[in-house]
Amino acid sequence: MTASPRRDPVPARRRGARTGSRREALAGYSFVAPNMVLLLVFVLVPLVWAVLISFQRTDGFGTGRYIGLENYSRLVTDPVFWRSTANTVLFTVIVTPLSMAIGLGIAVLLNSVLPARGLFRSILILPMAISGVATALIGVLIFDQDTGVLDKLLQSVGLPAVAWQSNGTAAFASVVLVTLWWRVGFNMLIYLAGLQAINPELYEAARLDGANRWQQFRYITVPLVGPSSFFLLILNVVYSFQVFDIVFVMTDGGPENATSVLVTYAYNNGFVTGDQGYAAAIGVVLLLLTLLFTVLRWRTSRTRDLVE
Amino acid sequence: MDLDRRHFLAAAGAVSLPAVLAGCGFAPSSSSDSQPSGTDTITFTTWGTDSELAGFRSAISSFESANPGSKVTLNAVPYDQMFTNIDAQLQAGNPPDVFRVPYYTFGSYAGRGQLLDLGPHLADGFSDRFTPQAWAAVQNGGKAYGVPHHTDTSVILYNKALLESAGITSVPTSLDQAWTWDEFAQLLQTMRDKLPGSRYPLAVNWQGNGVTRWLSWLFESDGRFLAEDLKTPAIDSAQGKEALDFTKSFFEKKFVPQNNSVKSTKLAADLWYGQTTAMTFGGAFLIPDSEKTLEFEWGATFAPRNKRSAGDFGGNALVATKAARNPALVAKFFDHMTNADQMRAFCESASLLPTRADLIEKGIDFKVRPELSPVFVGQASSVKAQDSGQVASPSMSKIITVLKDNLEAAFVGGQDTAAALSSMSSGIGAATAS
Repeated sequence: MTASPRRDPVPARRRGARTGSRREALAGYSFVAPNMVLLLVFVLVPLVWAVLISFQRTDGFGTGRYIGLENYSRLVTDPVFWRSTANTVLFTVIVTPLSMAIGLGIAVLLNSVLPARGLFRSILILPMAISGVATALIGVLIFDQDTGVLDKLLQSVGLPAVAWQSNGTAAFASVVLVTLWWRVGFNMLIYLAGLQAINPELYEAARLDGANRWQQFRYITVPLVGPSSFFLLILNVVYSFQVFDIVFVMTDGGPENATSVLVTYAYNNGFVTGDQGYAAAIGVVLLLLTLLFTVLRWRTSRTRDLVE
Repeated sequence: MDLDRRHFLAAAGAVSLPAVLAGCGFAPSSSSDSQPSGTDTITFTTWGTDSELAGFRSAISSFESANPGSKVTLNAVPYDQMFTNIDAQLQAGNPPDVFRVPYYTFGSYAGRGQLLDLGPHLADGFSDRFTPQAWAAVQNGGKAYGVPHHTDTSVILYNKALLESAGITSVPTSLDQAWTWDEFAQLLQTMRDKLPGSRYPLAVNWQGNGVTRWLSWLFESDGRFLAEDLKTPAIDSAQGKEALDFTKSFFEKKFVPQNNSVKSTKLAADLWYGQTTAMTFGGAFLIPDSEKTLEFEWGATFAPRNKRSAGDFGGNALVATKAARNPALVAKFFDHMTNADQMRAFCESASLLPTRADLIEKGIDFKVRPELSPVFVGQASSVKAQDSGQVASPSMSKIITVLKDNLEAAFVGGQDTAAALSSMSSGIGAATAS
């Protein structure tokens, strides 16, 4: 009789545990469902739709005509596509390391004891709050080769004016410089957060062992902001691949396609020329490039999870 | 019952929910008109300057007065968003009944089955009120898909002080006495010799979609870019070579700034406003802003001529979408918008040019700088139906890209004339074939 009461509660507990787990899982899925629906409707459906359009000849009005891989084979022989791809890659290769390096440098400076550092941080972060188009319009004021601030400044100290609109290299440089101004603040912010997570005792120990400032930076700071670098590298590359508004407003791909990038080229084909199938094909290629880079970076990064 | 923490938070959430939804754009916008009801309403989407929008509102008001029970809902949008919005609405199946469209974009809509054929809805003889070149600009396949509401064309705007500093004291005062190309080139060279290196004689308004204005030089040589069938490329010709060589020389001889090319984001008018150039090509629509903002004394004269005078057929048409709910009312609206009183009032206040033959014959007077009206009206008379009819091609948006790529290569990329013309010819052929 004493054994009987002890046996009864055991099955009840086991049944309750299984039911509870399922209930928790359901609750979790329920909470995440709205986000998944949003993702599905606003990302996945348009993505599949764009892939389908890239196999059509269509101007967007009415149903298009399926032409197989014709849009993609046309890409291969299109010199402007390759020029835009090269410009996009070059832009990425220049802007990404520069904005990260400058951002980290400034973050290190602002992470130390510095008068009014809050003010400096605010000044540097402010461009990040401005929209791309507004940033580009500021760039136009500075870089206009006839009435811009910069050429007037150069000429006032006896230097020759630079043809920021009509010289391809100078136009490309102007877009890079404006983008750096816009992006450095964000990079600084992320690195600042990463720096503040580093244990000060590491620097103290290094100093006691005779490390100089550069060695402290090289062997402690840089490896330990690995997670920030990983995050910023992907973000900067993806952003640079998708650069549009600054190019569109400042140079619109000119002069002579010297600053044409994949997204401005896709935009011009889709919405100016009205060739939406071809524009979608360019978009799909851009997506594949971005995915490829992200996967490669994910697989090869050795310091992304390094913490102290 | 006592207000405890849980109830307070729930109440606070309920109160803040409308604000959150409004922030996400769910709140009804107080600035938009209520949804049109029934078929006695026309929805009309356009962009415009302040003067133009005021003109539209005035015309709509008089139309509604003359047609009790009818309503026109005006939707004014920025130009930059106009056609991406229209395209999206057409694709989604909810376009406005009526919208405004430049003549060079008209063909893209008419040629792809998006617009209402107005033929069955307009009175016999309706087209007689317009000039032949205006009516040609709204035709596709021999049918009328819009009404030419106004036009504009480019003449030379000049900075009087800069011209005088170069020793030029008079400009042509009639169309048939406009500078010939040779005289114009000589004039530009004289100015180039006299002006400092950072200033230029001229800026040309062929940027962006304005690249169609380069075609004026072709027309001045009696050339064509499309043959009579409006499909066969005709640009690789002696006239094409003449026009391209002449305009290339503007860059080679530093008559225009290097950033005055067709792909530049710097507009010709801005070069002139900033006094980088002494002259610019510009349309009448620039008059109100110029008069308001410019600090220097300025005037207008006719564009140069070669075998003949020519001009770009700028300006805009009014078109109806194929799915317009009340075609008869739309036709009435178009008739009203293009009657003599309405067109005169609109064009005089907005500094635009009429498309009616009677108004052109009588002349109009701009409200701002009325003495300049004859220059623009005179220049517009040099546009021929064979010119504007080509620009109404349904392939024009692709042709514009071909022109931009090749003129840019020729102007600032050093591409020679024969290669540029050959490339344009094959590009135009591909555009009209697709």
